[in-house]
Amino acid sequence: MSDKNNKIPFNENNYTHNINRNNERKLDRRGFMKTLVGAAGVFAVSSLPWGAIAAKELSGLSDKKYPKKKIADLKSVAVGDAVDFHFPGEHDSAILIRLSEKKFVAYQNACTHLRCPVFWEKDKGEMICPCHHGKFDVETGAPTAGPPRRPLPEIHVKVENGAVYAVGVKRYEA
Amino acid sequence: MKRSYVPVALLLAVLMLNIIFTQYMVHQYFYQNYMNTIIAAVLNVILFPIAFLIYKKGVNVND
Ligand code: FES
Repeated sequence: MSDKNNKIPFNENNYTHNINRNNERKLDRRGFMKTLVGAAGVFAVSSLPWGAIAAKELSGLSDKKYPKKKIADLKSVAVGDAVDFHFPGEHDSAILIRLSEKKFVAYQNACTHLRCPVFWEKDKGEMICPCHHGKFDVETGAPTAGPPRRPLPEIHVKVENGAVYAVGVKRYEA
Repeated sequence: MKRSYVPVALLLAVLMLNIIFTQYMVHQYFYQNYMNTIIAAVLNVILFPIAFLIYKKGVNVND
């Protein structure tokens, strides 16, 4: 190759002849570290909304109130027994379990895996989904075994003059 | 002084942790374990100043 394009044409009045742009775009160690720090910043910022929404859920802001609905008379549910009912809508099946004299728990009983109905196994003391043997903790609704990974939506109940009422849902899942 | 690649390795480790925490955070969110979600988010946020400190220390070691 000839050298004719590689000559500096003038000696003094060329103000750019000493600018060396070779390797200008090379990613050196410093630039690479800068990129990594920037990535850490992006991760940090994008974590914020998740934390915020989770905090909102924890604070109970998304609990929903519904007109209270009678589930059953106190007398008709023996300790350790369960009653099926519907709340808040007509087609949202739910289950009420009497754990002790005073303690009632209620959940929407569509399994959080594939929505099969969940049953109360009295002698095992746990809630079981027959479809794929998912199990739920009866005190909290948290999944303890099998495919479901989300807790059953809890229904708030209240005992008032001899009857049990459903008053709200922790998070409504239709 | 010879340039050191230890900070680069540390920053890559930070990036790895970022990825792990982010995935954990998203999964725990969908499993509705909101406390774990918040913990993972906080960890992700404090990784940023750590990364920045590693960078600050690292660039002084001559480029
Ligand atoms: S639907 Fe309940 S375990 Fe699959």
